[in-house]
Amino acid sequence: MTATLEHRVSKPIVEPAVRLTSVHKSFGKGTRSVAALAGVDLRVAPGEFVCLIGASGCGKTTLLNLVAGLDSVTSGELVRNTSRPAVMFQEAALMPWLTATRNVELALRLGGVGRADRRRRTIDLLELVRLTGVGDKRPHELSGGMRQRVALARALACTVDPSSDTNDSDLPALLLMDEPFSALDAITRDVLQAELLRVWEATKTAVLFVTHDVREAVRLGQRVVLLSSRPGRVVQEWDVADGSPAAEAATVEEINVRLREVISSHAAA
Amino acid sequence: MPPRDSAAPPDEDTVGPQDNNSLVAVADYGAVGAGLDALERSTSDTGATTADRLRRIARSVLPPIVAIVVLIAIWQALWAAAFWPEYQLPSPSAVGSELWSDITSGAVFGQLWVSVHRAVFGFLIGVVIATPLGLLLAKVRLVRAAIGPLLSGLQSLPSVAWVPAAILWFGITPGAIYFVVLLGSVPSIANGLVSGIDQIPPILPRVGKVLGAGRLSGARHILLPAALPGYLAGLKQGWAFSWRSLMAAELIANSPQLGQGLGQYLENGRDLSDMPTVMAAIILILFVGIGIDVLIFRPLERWVLHSRGLTGMT
Repeated sequence: MTATLEHRVSKPIVEPAVRLTSVHKSFGKGTRSVAALAGVDLRVAPGEFVCLIGASGCGKTTLLNLVAGLDSVTSGELVRNTSRPAVMFQEAALMPWLTATRNVELALRLGGVGRADRRRRTIDLLELVRLTGVGDKRPHELSGGMRQRVALARALACTVDPSSDTNDSDLPALLLMDEPFSALDAITRDVLQAELLRVWEATKTAVLFVTHDVREAVRLGQRVVLLSSRPGRVVQEWDVADGSPAAEAATVEEINVRLREVISSHAAA
Repeated sequence: MPPRDSAAPPDEDTVGPQDNNSLVAVADYGAVGAGLDALERSTSDTGATTADRLRRIARSVLPPIVAIVVLIAIWQALWAAAFWPEYQLPSPSAVGSELWSDITSGAVFGQLWVSVHRAVFGFLIGVVIATPLGLLLAKVRLVRAAIGPLLSGLQSLPSVAWVPAAILWFGITPGAIYFVVLLGSVPSIANGLVSGIDQIPPILPRVGKVLGAGRLSGARHILLPAALPGYLAGLKQGWAFSWRSLMAAELIANSPQLGQGLGQYLENGRDLSDMPTVMAAIILILFVGIGIDVLIFRPLERWVLHSRGLTGMT
């Protein structure tokens, strides 16, 4: 995988795709409200691959929902300079009554892409995730890994600009992923991680990837961000682009140690 | 307490190629992925031969035929033993010839048409009323709290109980009959749609929102198709209730102006103490109920369940 690292830009100077400035998010009202996020600062540059890790209760999913626009911040500022964000969940969550092709087309249709354009772009997107031959299969006829690849194609369909003629829009694209590979078997997960890196290189989309697997985070990301739990805030960041295998293993160990420290501190509190 | 999996040391993780030889080229992953896909495809493409298909048809068609033959044989034996007088238990052949003479005279087609078109028309009006009602019930909490229990109660109320009221309100008119049919079918269809919507996995509407679906387009592209299996079950039950209610109404609301449906035919048989007519009418009513189920609802249901990978009992 080191071969894929050459083109990555480690320090962005351009305007970030996503910028969170002391974002707070609490659920409930008054004295019984629970803070999920307390002052999160985070930037994702266009085309950057950022992995978020943390124990459960660190608000990883809350953070992703905020960026996706499914929820609004309690205080602080969230600025997104991207096209419609693409979101992938732990489950593929494809519409079971639609074929793979129709699932991707539905995303394009809801995004306002015209009928004539939809077919062509769907073919491109399915080709991007190497599923050209199975467009007419329904989700239950596909394996878990194939379903997740259809979900990736469908998510990327969100970033399509209906007015533009190609699949690259003027605004930078953003892909939000919530533990998308955690329900897959080890071999399929490996393959899909490689697929994701390939798609990321091909599309130059920014990725915000939530996982609780440190090794996955280090393998995929250019930057790994560790969140603390209850409430979530950024504890530490690691630049993990361009590492030799040995350096990568050392980083994994270092992050694991730090993660364990953060978790142990909850028992003491 | 924090979950253990997040704190697991790296050596407990699944062993991926990246730890020993991380120079495995991306192309190799492509090959592994293609291999996985090919394995998946070879297991899913199993075509059925004609012999298989014939056997399957035989398995679904033969048992009911055998059951009917056995029933008629028992009936014939009971009639031959003469436990009951002839006017209470006629022979199968007497009922058969009654049916046959109705068919050859063409009277049966008129009766079927009167009843079936009423039931279908009433059922379709029921669908038009019950579908928006079901959507409202499922999505608006206040509406559900207010009339949800009432609608469930109506479902268990035999709709024959509405016949006297319908006659007093509408007189012996088609209006009275449709009123009873609607009160039979609307609660079933609406409740079916509500349970269909309740059973949608919550992730699907969330995905819809992420994909940019608004309230209306979300209902059209996600909510309604996702609720289709439950809705279809409701429609099936709604049809059964329409048909039952219609027979109850036709039995009681009996007038020459209304034309002769199967219910009136049955009532005439009772008036004349003509048991073969009564039994022929019951057989015809049963025939319509089974026919609509087998010709329309069963294939629809099979298609919907099959296309979603849900194997229902069909």
